[in-house]
Amino acid sequence: MALSSVLRGECADFSGRSDRPFAFGCGLDRTELGFASEPGDGPSFAVKSALYPDTEEGPERKIEFLHGTTTLAFKFQHGVIVAVDSRATAGSYIASQTVKKVIEINPYLLGTMAGGAADCSFWERLLARQCRVYELRNKERISVAAASKLLANMVYQYKGMGLSMGTMVCGWDKRGPGLYYVDSEGNRVCGDLFAVGSGSMYAYGVVDSGLRHDLSVEEACDLGRRAIYQATYRDAYSGGVVNLYRVHSQGWERVSQDDVLKLHLQYREDRA
Amino acid sequence: MALQDVCGFHDTPAYPRWNTPALLSLPVGDTILHIQRGIGSSMYDFGKTSGNALELYVPVLDYLSQSPINFGQIASNTLPSHPPLFQSPTPLSPSCLPVSIPLLSSPVPPSPFVPLPFPLSHGTTTLAFAFQGGAIAAADTRSSCGGLVACPASHKVLPVHSHMVGTTSGTSADCALWKRILARECRLYQLRHRRRLTVGGSAKLLSHMLHPFKGTELCVAATLCGWDGEVEGGTEDKLAAEGTQDGGSANESGTSPAAAARVPAWAPGPRLCYVCSDGTLLKGGLFSVGSGSPYAYSVLDAGHRWELSVPEACSLAREAVFRATHRDAYSGNCVDLFHITARGWRRRAREDLKEEYYREKERERERVEERRRERGRVEERK
Repeated sequence: MALSSVLRGECADFSGRSDRPFAFGCGLDRTELGFASEPGDGPSFAVKSALYPDTEEGPERKIEFLHGTTTLAFKFQHGVIVAVDSRATAGSYIASQTVKKVIEINPYLLGTMAGGAADCSFWERLLARQCRVYELRNKERISVAAASKLLANMVYQYKGMGLSMGTMVCGWDKRGPGLYYVDSEGNRVCGDLFAVGSGSMYAYGVVDSGLRHDLSVEEACDLGRRAIYQATYRDAYSGGVVNLYRVHSQGWERVSQDDVLKLHLQYREDRA
Repeated sequence: MALQDVCGFHDTPAYPRWNTPALLSLPVGDTILHIQRGIGSSMYDFGKTSGNALELYVPVLDYLSQSPINFGQIASNTLPSHPPLFQSPTPLSPSCLPVSIPLLSSPVPPSPFVPLPFPLSHGTTTLAFAFQGGAIAAADTRSSCGGLVACPASHKVLPVHSHMVGTTSGTSADCALWKRILARECRLYQLRHRRRLTVGGSAKLLSHMLHPFKGTELCVAATLCGWDGEVEGGTEDKLAAEGTQDGGSANESGTSPAAAARVPAWAPGPRLCYVCSDGTLLKGGLFSVGSGSPYAYSVLDAGHRWELSVPEACSLAREAVFRATHRDAYSGNCVDLFHITARGWRRRAREDLKEEYYREKERERERVEERRRERGRVEERK
């Protein structure tokens, strides 16, 4: 991985095998397993700005949709709802239907994964380490803003080198629920609602229609589940199960895991 | 064709550019085919016409990767030239090529991360669906030209004849012209044969008319939406009865694509067909076209049922367009709604979405107030 060759100091176990993509032992040695749905040889998740400078045309830049997945997070009065699908694709091959795309950074912070699975899980584990160090030094929990800033600064150093990561850092700190979107291009944005991935557009439609600040917990969970289900219905690169988490003042809890087929049958029954 | 004779090429793939024997200047896509010819054959065997099965081109793959039509992104991003991977004409044996050559040699898709869910060009949001009360066609009214809103009040839903409208997406000039041509042809058909052309028939007609322009810059993606009614003779009542019976028994199956199956082909009812200038012709019960269509699709999928009432269907269509305009930069301004029934199409007043946005904020505020009052009352009673 490009990452391993760059990080020679920090990870002693990646011993300079930068020529071979990290195959995850699944035998597809020319594709890298991840949530990107384009096969590439190793670190070829080309960051647009670096590798294709002549195709950008200023304000007429193309709309860029990241990564074959659907992840969604929104704030409401009782915290933050995080909903994700669980499909990993390598080109048109569905590599797995049971991927965990929510990373538990620490008992009160969650991160979602979109993009390269390796990049996301590696950087978020590094973030977990940094958060713990902060906690030990300052004797208080790190805020969501600070955690997302740490992550953004870490990946910014590798900007243009082919990292592919679009993550949402969600948590609850003394300012209330916190939600930040951080990606490998260096964006770090605070907001009330984010959806990332190829199915994000489908999810946005549903969440926009139903989102209100004063939703009850049950309603918010249903909304998140519905949004991911609608995205998996239309997007080929999303599917599997819907994993739903909620972050509240005491930390995060895993609310449910529902197979999208079961949801499909349930919604159809509700309609009839 | 003359070119064919020059190359000694007799089986004709559809597009003249595949016939050029100039190996060095070949678009990279063509080199796939040489490699697939098998071990030992050199690239210079190109001109032979042995009727070998391996000479069968796969034009689809190459066409899709080299279409001059800017499917993909809204801004023009046709990569001017593919990086020439094969510089020298040395005969290549397949063994020295990596297995993934088709992927390496295809030009980079617009987004290097993920192929788009479907070609997302056409800065617009149009949608159409069928339900028990007829068909609804809705569209936004923004015409954009790159980053400029060229016209905030354009018409994207154009009537074709008394019982059919077409939503348009793509280049607005092309769409307007072709709709008029289609309307003319439908009218001529009606005069000659004394009955209206069905939606499926007009879709096929439009598709055939657009076919000669395939591969050019013409860009039209239309959803023809109408009511097929007239059946010859006195069998209409009987067929209508059968149609409703089938509709009743099909109720249990319940998914929206089955809506088209509920109304058998010979029975009167709403119909939808999607026609595209690249040759696609699809029949179905629900379509949405344009850059805002993913946003609209999810709202429509969540709310669409065959049994919707007319006001519910109109508000669903309006909500779907509103959500799409909320998120998509290339859609906006107002929404046009057409409702087609057995009596013909009817146009609803054009609604400005800005007002809809404020109305929704107001409604939400009232709902929050209402819920707070409810909770207060419940607390009091306890």
